[in-house]
Amino acid sequence: MVLASIVVLFHVVTSVILAWLYFRRYTMTRPPIGVFNLGDVAVMLVMVILVPLLYLMLPIWMVIVLLTLAGLSILYFTWEPVLKSSWFIWLVTLVLAGADLFTALAPDINPVWFLAINNIVMLISVVGVTNLWAQSGMKARHAAILGAALAVYDLIATSLLPLMNDLFARLDGLPFAPTIAWPINAAGPWLGIGLGDLVLTAVFPLVMRKAFGRMAGIFAMAFGLGAIGLLILSVLFGFVEIFPVMVVLGPLMVCQYAYWIQRRPERTTWQYLQAEPTK
Amino acid sequence: MFESAFAQLRYAASVLFAVPFDLRSLDRLVDGILATKQEFGSLGADSAEFLGGPELDEETRRDVQIRRFRKQAVRAAEETDYYSSQFTTLGVDPSRLTFEDIARIPVTPKKALLNNPDAFVRRGSNPAFRTTTTGTTGKPTSVYFTAREIQATGLLAAISFLQSGQITPEDIVQISTSSRATLGNTCFSQAVQRIGAVWYQTGLVDPAQALALLSESHHLPGKKNRASFLNTYASYLGELVECGLNSGYSPKDFGVDHISVGGEIVTEGLKRRCRKLFGSVEFIQSYAMTETWPFGATFCEEGHLHFEPSQGLLEIVDPDTAQPGKPGQTGTMVVTPFAPYREASVVLRYDTEDLVQPVFGPLGCSLKHWTATTDLLGKLRLAIRTANGWVYPRQIREALESLEEVPLPARCGFWAIEGGVAVEVAVRKIDSSIRNRIGQSLEERGVPVCELYLEEDPSQLQHQLPLRCDLREILFERSVIKL
Ligand SMILES: [Zn+2]
Repeated sequence: MVLASIVVLFHVVTSVILAWLYFRRYTMTRPPIGVFNLGDVAVMLVMVILVPLLYLMLPIWMVIVLLTLAGLSILYFTWEPVLKSSWFIWLVTLVLAGADLFTALAPDINPVWFLAINNIVMLISVVGVTNLWAQSGMKARHAAILGAALAVYDLIATSLLPLMNDLFARLDGLPFAPTIAWPINAAGPWLGIGLGDLVLTAVFPLVMRKAFGRMAGIFAMAFGLGAIGLLILSVLFGFVEIFPVMVVLGPLMVCQYAYWIQRRPERTTWQYLQAEPTK
Repeated sequence: MFESAFAQLRYAASVLFAVPFDLRSLDRLVDGILATKQEFGSLGADSAEFLGGPELDEETRRDVQIRRFRKQAVRAAEETDYYSSQFTTLGVDPSRLTFEDIARIPVTPKKALLNNPDAFVRRGSNPAFRTTTTGTTGKPTSVYFTAREIQATGLLAAISFLQSGQITPEDIVQISTSSRATLGNTCFSQAVQRIGAVWYQTGLVDPAQALALLSESHHLPGKKNRASFLNTYASYLGELVECGLNSGYSPKDFGVDHISVGGEIVTEGLKRRCRKLFGSVEFIQSYAMTETWPFGATFCEEGHLHFEPSQGLLEIVDPDTAQPGKPGQTGTMVVTPFAPYREASVVLRYDTEDLVQPVFGPLGCSLKHWTATTDLLGKLRLAIRTANGWVYPRQIREALESLEEVPLPARCGFWAIEGGVAVEVAVRKIDSSIRNRIGQSLEERGVPVCELYLEEDPSQLQHQLPLRCDLREILFERSVIKL
């Protein structure tokens, strides 16, 4: 139990910090025209509601295909600005994806191997997805709205309906399963955090830094990691078994946004880079 | 991002498959560009390639062009009075045209459109707007457009200005063109206001009035504090320069950073002398005409005129044989605008009577994958053929406007005489040194000048070439701002 808590927390902290460093160091290719806007928040919410239902309804092989395609593309665009040469990007992407698929699907492999690989793949995906959003012009306001809406959704889906439990059960052990997890004991139950919660935790410091400066970003990081740390502790001490993380993170995001927006207007990417040039 | 991605796909579908533009998508695209520029300060990489049309190799270009030509020819033959009788007489099936067959279709002369513009309007289209040329000679030519075409053209122009950064929401735009130039003025002003900039039309008023407006200080929220973009004709710009310098204006009195100048030959001398009045401005030159609107040409940094091949077909035709010209040979531009840019009235192989020389690759400029020509040499009917070759209005204007002794715009004329041409020009003051300098300048540009007539009073010129600035719009005497 303690080991599982440490492993999960380690991955959470590492992904949040790596996303923060990546944001300052690497520029992802953005589309020629287009900025993240409220319409995109709406599309995301619809996806958040529909995709789990799809995962529950589609045949398992189709779920695997969808997860693999999503995983491959996220890995590719995350490595793109880092590795630059296209064969090298493909090599790293395919090795990671191959390891994930192999450990998930090959028979007679200790599931711990799969979790170890998949956790790394998910960690990289968090870095990629958060940077893709933040570097596409996502505003702190968008993240706060998304956080608030997800808090409501999470409360309904996780606490009041068996949906999330069903989903975790269904995705358990599938390649590119969107969780970071570790077994609690040899018998099988594990401790984990969903990819969505982690992405929200990691993207908020980026958009807050862009919007209001370095301090706002660091506070966002501290609050987000602190909240997840406390939740893991409460699981460790047996207070809860499954907890809707966004129910805590969402209101935290809204409060921080409300605090900063009263003090200064939100900066555009251009204004942020003028004030804090990278390199 | 999703909205703008869909708008981009819809736009690409129109450009690639010639389906009509969707006005809503174009509008979204403008919003997307504005939002992207506001957030990031610039568009993403590849935006120029995306908005500039597809980059086609020679074979694909011919393939795209013949398919689009056929489509327009079928529409013309089936749905317009003018071309249905023409194709019947020719005995050509427009849906089976090959690239080689195009030359068999007779060029459409200006006269045909002038005499019966209605015969070019497609049955079933819904023309809403008749525009007339401001032509410097005789009866104006008319062309009909649908409301959609005008809106689409305005939005496409907005996209193009935003993409190039030539007009931004902070700009104040002065339009000093003829108030009767309704097509250009409507599309341009729609583009400007869609971008979020301010525009006003002065018309071709007393240059003193136009200069007073141009130097006026403004305190508009979010806007520059003086007019920053001027859209005008070459000859009227010449009048502004002349009047401005004579009245003691200097660059500190203006905030103009871009001058879009066209409609006439723009000379190097004009641009150089213009910078004395307005300081370092960027000139935007393009080529467009009412009859073939909105298919026109863009200037590249090397001074070529470039035509985007998926928007229309440009042929350079030998004026004697009406056949394609040889490399290096001067010809007139014969133009066919394609769908989806042209929907209501169709013209096939319209003879613009504008002389150019084709430019063949490989080119090194930024628009190298577009069809290229030299800059305009002048109208065919104004050019003169001598024993040793052509003399073009451009040569004469370049030679004269490069000299300070010749007031802008150069008021001049030329005609054929035994052994070459005679040139007449208005100058500030006649003396022997100016006569020599003008003669030398003309010779440097290859003009076989045999007789040179100088006048201090322009009204004494016998063969003056027409200038658009002479389409002067009058004001009540008292409302002219006195300097
Ligand atoms: Zn060029």
